[in-house]
Amino acid sequence: MRKPWQPQQPRSWWLRNPAYRRYMLREATALPLLLYTLLLLAGIVQFSRGEAAFATWLSWLQTPAGLLLQGIALAAALLHAVTWVALVPKILVIDSDRLRIDPRHVLRAHQLGALAGNLGLVGATLWLLWPAGGA
Amino acid sequence: MSDTIELAVTRYRPEQDTQPWEQRYTVPCSDDMSVLDALNYIKDALDPSLSHRWSCRMAICGSCGVMVNGEPKLSCKTFLRDYREAGVLEVRALDNLPVERDLVADISGVVEHIEAVKPWLIRHSEAPVDTAHSQTPAQMARYHAFSQCINCALCYAACPQFGRNPAFLGPAALTLAQRYNLDSRDEGSSERMPWLNAEEGVWSCTFVGYCSEVCPKDVDPASAINRGKVASDINYGVNLFRLLRGKGDA
Ligand code: SF4
Ligand code: FES
Repeated sequence: MRKPWQPQQPRSWWLRNPAYRRYMLREATALPLLLYTLLLLAGIVQFSRGEAAFATWLSWLQTPAGLLLQGIALAAALLHAVTWVALVPKILVIDSDRLRIDPRHVLRAHQLGALAGNLGLVGATLWLLWPAGGA
Repeated sequence: MSDTIELAVTRYRPEQDTQPWEQRYTVPCSDDMSVLDALNYIKDALDPSLSHRWSCRMAICGSCGVMVNGEPKLSCKTFLRDYREAGVLEVRALDNLPVERDLVADISGVVEHIEAVKPWLIRHSEAPVDTAHSQTPAQMARYHAFSQCINCALCYAACPQFGRNPAFLGPAALTLAQRYNLDSRDEGSSERMPWLNAEEGVWSCTFVGYCSEVCPKDVDPASAINRGKVASDINYGVNLFRLLRGKGDA
C-alpha cells in the first residue's frame, strides 16, 4: 500500500538558501519605498496645513531618523532598479523573422533610459528651483 | 585516493515510519565518484534496503534528482570531490514533492502538468508525409535551449511557488509550452495560451529565478516563464480586440 510522505513548506523556507535570501531582499525593497511614499504623503498633508506645519516636516527630513529613512529608501530603489534591469534581457526578447535585436542592446537601452530619466528629473528639478533658489 | 566521506541520508520507509529520519553511512571517496556512485555503493555493500532512482548515469534520463546539502542536484552529475571540505553530504528526496520512499520523490504531479500544456507539434492539417516542415537554423535557435529539458524536476524542487501551491504548472511545463509556441512549425499556441494565462500559469511566477540556477541542462526556465508573461499580455490584447469584433480567442 502506498503511503507517501507529504512535505510541508516551512515558514522559514526563504532562510534556507542564499538564492532565496537574495530574492526576498529584492522583494523587500518595496517596504522602504512604502515608508518613503507615506513620508511624501505626510509632506503634502503638512503643506496643506500651512507654512509652519510644512517647515516642521522639512526640518524632520534633516533629523538622523529622517536621513536614515531616505538613505535606506534610496538604497532600496537602486537595488531594485539594478536587479530588475539586469533581468530585462531574459524577459524582453525581440527575435522574429522580421525583427531581431541583440539582447545586449536591449539591456543597454534600458540602462541608458534609466540614466536619462533620472538625470532629466534632477535637471528639471534644478531648473524649476533655480529662480527661487537665486531669489 | 582511499579516503572516505560521510553521507547523511534522509530515509522514509512507508511500512514502518511515520516520518522521515536520518541515517549515516561512510562511503569511499575518490575524485571520480559521483553521489550516485556513493548511493549505489551503499545499496550494494552496506544497506540493500535503501531506495533511490537512476538509470542513465549521464545526465540524460532525469531520474536521479535528489537534494544534496539543500540544493537540487542530479546525483550522477554531482561529485563527492566537491564536498570533501564539507566532510558530510546531506542527501534527501527532492523538495516540494511527496516522498514515496527514501530518496524517491513522486513526480507524477509534475508529469501531469507537463502533459497539460500539450508539449508536441500541433498542426491544423497534417501535411503529406513526403514533405518535411522545413525550418531555418535561426528559427530553431529561438526554442533550442528550451527543448533541452530532461524532466528531472530539479526546478520544481527549487521553486517556492510550487512548494506553496502544487497546482502551479511550474517551470518545466511552462517552459515546454513556450518551446512549442516558439517553434515555427507549430500551429497550436491557441490551445496552450489558456494554460499560460491561467491562475496556475505564468502569473503565479514571481521570478525567484532559482529554477534556472539549478537546471542541469541550462534550459533557463525562469526566462521562458517570464517571456511567457509578455506572450500572455499580448494574447490578452489580441483577444480583447477579437472579442470586440465578435471572434473567438487566438
Ligand atoms: S527545466 Fe531543467 S531543471 Fe527543470 S525539469 Fe527541465 S532539465 Fe530539469
Ligand atoms: S541517472 Fe540519468 S540523469 Fe542521472
